[in-house]
Amino acid sequence: MNISGILVVVPPARIEDATRELNALPGVEVHHTEPSTGRIVVVQEAETVEQEIAALSRIKALSGVMLAEMVYHVFDETPPEWDAIPAEMAAS
Amino acid sequence: MELSRRNFLKSGVAAATAMAVGIPVSRIASAAAAETEQDWRWDKGVCRFCGVGCGIMIATQDGKIVATKGDPDAPVNRGLNCVKGYFNSKILYGKDRLTQPLMRMTDGRFDKQGKFTPVTWDQAFDEMAIQFKKAYEEKGPTGIGVIGSGQWLIQEGYAMTKLMKAGFRSNNIDPNARNCMASAVAAFMQVFGIDEPPGNYDDIEYTDTVVAWGANMAEAHPVLWQRVIDRRLGHSDMKIVNITTLRNMTSEGSDLEIIIKPNTDMALLNYLAREIIQRDAVNQAFVDAHCVFCAGPTDIGYGMRATDKFAFAAEKDIQAREVEVTLTRDEAIGLGLDPEQVHTIKQANAATADRHWLVGFEDFKAGVAPYTLDFVAELAKGDAEESLDAFKAKLVRLADLYADPKRKLVSFWTMGFNQHVRGTWVNEQIYSVHLLLGKIAEPGNSPFSLTGQPSACGTAREVGTFSHRLPADMVVNIAKHRDITEQTWKLPPKTLNPKVGSHITKIMRDLEDGSISWVWVQVNNPFQHVANANHWLKAARENDNFIVVSDAYPSISAKVADLILPVAMIFEKWGGYGNAERRTQLWREQVPPPGEARSDLWQILEFSKRITLAEVWKEQAIPGLKDEGFEEGKLPDVMAAAQEMGYTPQMTLYEALFETPQNKAFAWPDPVAKGHDNHTVKQLGVDWFVEKALFEEYAGFGRGHHHDLAPFDVYYQDDVRGLRWPVVDGKETPWRFNAKYDPYVKNGEIEFYGGAMKELVTGNLNGPTTEEKTKFPGKAKIFFRPYAAPVESPDGNYDLWLCTGRLLEHWHTGTMTRRVPELHRAMPSAVLDMNEKDAEERGLKRQDAVWIESRRGKIKAVIETTGRNRPPRGYSFMAFFDESVFVNKLCIDATCPISKEEDFKKTAIKIYKV
Ligand code: SF4
Repeated sequence: MNISGILVVVPPARIEDATRELNALPGVEVHHTEPSTGRIVVVQEAETVEQEIAALSRIKALSGVMLAEMVYHVFDETPPEWDAIPAEMAAS
Repeated sequence: MELSRRNFLKSGVAAATAMAVGIPVSRIASAAAAETEQDWRWDKGVCRFCGVGCGIMIATQDGKIVATKGDPDAPVNRGLNCVKGYFNSKILYGKDRLTQPLMRMTDGRFDKQGKFTPVTWDQAFDEMAIQFKKAYEEKGPTGIGVIGSGQWLIQEGYAMTKLMKAGFRSNNIDPNARNCMASAVAAFMQVFGIDEPPGNYDDIEYTDTVVAWGANMAEAHPVLWQRVIDRRLGHSDMKIVNITTLRNMTSEGSDLEIIIKPNTDMALLNYLAREIIQRDAVNQAFVDAHCVFCAGPTDIGYGMRATDKFAFAAEKDIQAREVEVTLTRDEAIGLGLDPEQVHTIKQANAATADRHWLVGFEDFKAGVAPYTLDFVAELAKGDAEESLDAFKAKLVRLADLYADPKRKLVSFWTMGFNQHVRGTWVNEQIYSVHLLLGKIAEPGNSPFSLTGQPSACGTAREVGTFSHRLPADMVVNIAKHRDITEQTWKLPPKTLNPKVGSHITKIMRDLEDGSISWVWVQVNNPFQHVANANHWLKAARENDNFIVVSDAYPSISAKVADLILPVAMIFEKWGGYGNAERRTQLWREQVPPPGEARSDLWQILEFSKRITLAEVWKEQAIPGLKDEGFEEGKLPDVMAAAQEMGYTPQMTLYEALFETPQNKAFAWPDPVAKGHDNHTVKQLGVDWFVEKALFEEYAGFGRGHHHDLAPFDVYYQDDVRGLRWPVVDGKETPWRFNAKYDPYVKNGEIEFYGGAMKELVTGNLNGPTTEEKTKFPGKAKIFFRPYAAPVESPDGNYDLWLCTGRLLEHWHTGTMTRRVPELHRAMPSAVLDMNEKDAEERGLKRQDAVWIESRRGKIKAVIETTGRNRPPRGYSFMAFFDESVFVNKLCIDATCPISKEEDFKKTAIKIYKV
């Protein structure tokens, strides 16, 4: 499980609509807003990196979004898998 | 993770995010953030994924990275990161991470045709030394080579440079940065006499205009691009221009998009220079006080071999252009020649391409005179579907922006200019435009060369890991520079080799023709990223040679190697990078490397223990060496002089070069570590602080010589987020050459004090007319450079342009970013972006699998006509991240003849259905 904190910026006039639209996205929660500057902090939860990046693209695609970038990541507990020699190396 | 714990974690992440970007939060929220993070150890680091150099904060727990965040205190990115920043920790934990040395063996012995087999470090170094000595005894210092990187840590690049140049007496060391910004370097040296930009990223917040020249900043430098977009939000007068060969993400945020044909950037810049003169917009006082005018030869070839002995049959027609060229009509006009006549020109200055001489303003003016709006618009218009009038209006608008004396302006560029058969010229031309206007070296007015790699500046350039360089902008072929270096390194006189070594493409060519037979590759994937790869893959596998690759993952280069050495990555070691704005940033080791992986620095030092002075400091044959004070073709035996200095023949290079009394004075452990480990020191089994000692030794070269770095410990202070050199009396230098900000300016308000090439003969556009040299200290050069056509252009057979570049999700050859499997799936295989109508014309459509063929090879790919890159008719684009779609098999290995940087942007191809 990956959890990331994302900064989203929209025109101040759109902040309420944007908050609603963001909350409607799967795995996305709006936690803080700053109406005077149009800045919104969302937290996104996703199973995989791929889902996380796809979700970021969805945020960027919302109308009026001027910026959406990841600021904070917390990583899942996947154990390191570095012990084996990769098959492709052994075979070459 | 149970639900309540997860919800709590999320509130903590939200609060920490808000705090990182300066949004006020409640006391309860900030307490949640603090509690989430309470068990983690935080420390500062630098993103390793591009030359922007964003600060990140890294949290570790039990020897693993558990979280990262954009560093709110980092002036570069102010808490933001782009999506690549996310991989700084992920990249350490890929499934196929290499963790032990692997050698090709059969029946327990090294065999070039054998299978990769795990070996111990001792076995690995022993074989490496046997093979080294074989090549070195037979061929001398020119028979070996090292291919390094702009991702080398400062200390790694420095140690390898010292080992190669002082130890092995070989200049055959070159970084992949050669193919990233060598053209920028050559132009900096020729124009200013010193490397790296006058300005810095803060120019963005002071400017009214940003012009991106062939730089898709929105994808390649996203955090910087964000600063550009932010500036526009807060500054109504701000204008953004994207000059490009295809529509891309950067176009989205731009006010003006100008689509041009390949290489016509040169014509466009001459049009701007001409307009500035015509409109009387030259800043005369600035030019008179601070500039001279220059020209150089135009018959300089394309950096290819002068022989077609090794060329594939299909390559020979283009190869022949290295010797003789018939000018195109546009080239003739641009040179002021009669376009109705045929001009066939021998490329007589191929080996002396960097010669140049002083000319007068009137010569310059005559040079740019042919570049009228009509001529340039017709030549440069890149989108067949745009009307000529509309295109002309855009060029006029561009000239308006540049010429407006009240408007501040930043020009940004990267690979579009640098990877160019006239890369040095086009870099020089943009300086010419800024210098004519006096828009340079002050906040908001800045010609700014961006870099792709995290330490292209800090290591490749500043340390000088190129085949011609020594630290602090010095070069091997100037006696005074060798003297200084020999004294600093405590070497006997004439240890250093005065003959410039092989650049990266030449190392590959040397492998092919057998003049090099031992190569060590570090932090780099050259068998994938050097153009015309089919030649080099074959040379590596089929010739009698030994190739060592230090890598973290099984890259293509690792796979063609004979010996693979597993490396520690970024935060598994102590190190430092320097970004594109001269900002040096250092970090601590955060987590231990996996298995037996060890730092590149440890590998360099361990290997140096296996070679003695007697083996290298004896007389050496250097074919072609001709230099004052040297016997032709020879480096002298310096062992006798060395013995007088206290060295012995049996001493190892480790003892002579690295474990010196000065270096041993830096003790480990050191309080600056604050409890962090150092596996390099531990594995060496020493009690001196290797990274600190080497940093300080290296910094000695630049202090007092325009390149001052702060003391090692200063970079580790909690309140420091990197410092922009020169750091003088504890203060960094935001803008160079300007007395207000730069303590090195001694005369007047502006002084271009760089010392290289500041004495020249005088002539006109055709050549020198005097032999007497004139000195012009403190001045910068305004070059006239004519338009030159690409070395190969589409014809009836290869009928489409191919340009290569990178995408946001992937980085360079993708050895690292591709390791994150989910990310790879997001961009499943390399696609060829092309225009829908071009596809239709060939009976193809979106998603069709096609063969792409050039004179040098063919590969399969899938075509895309609706992607985020939208090429105009006749043009196509492909990213070079994918190992399975090997685009560099197609690309030509022509280079800028001055910088030796390859042109990955212009290959003629044809495509047909699989
Ligand atoms: S812009 Fe460059 S340095 Fe910054 S986070 Fe992205 S890849 Fe890293």
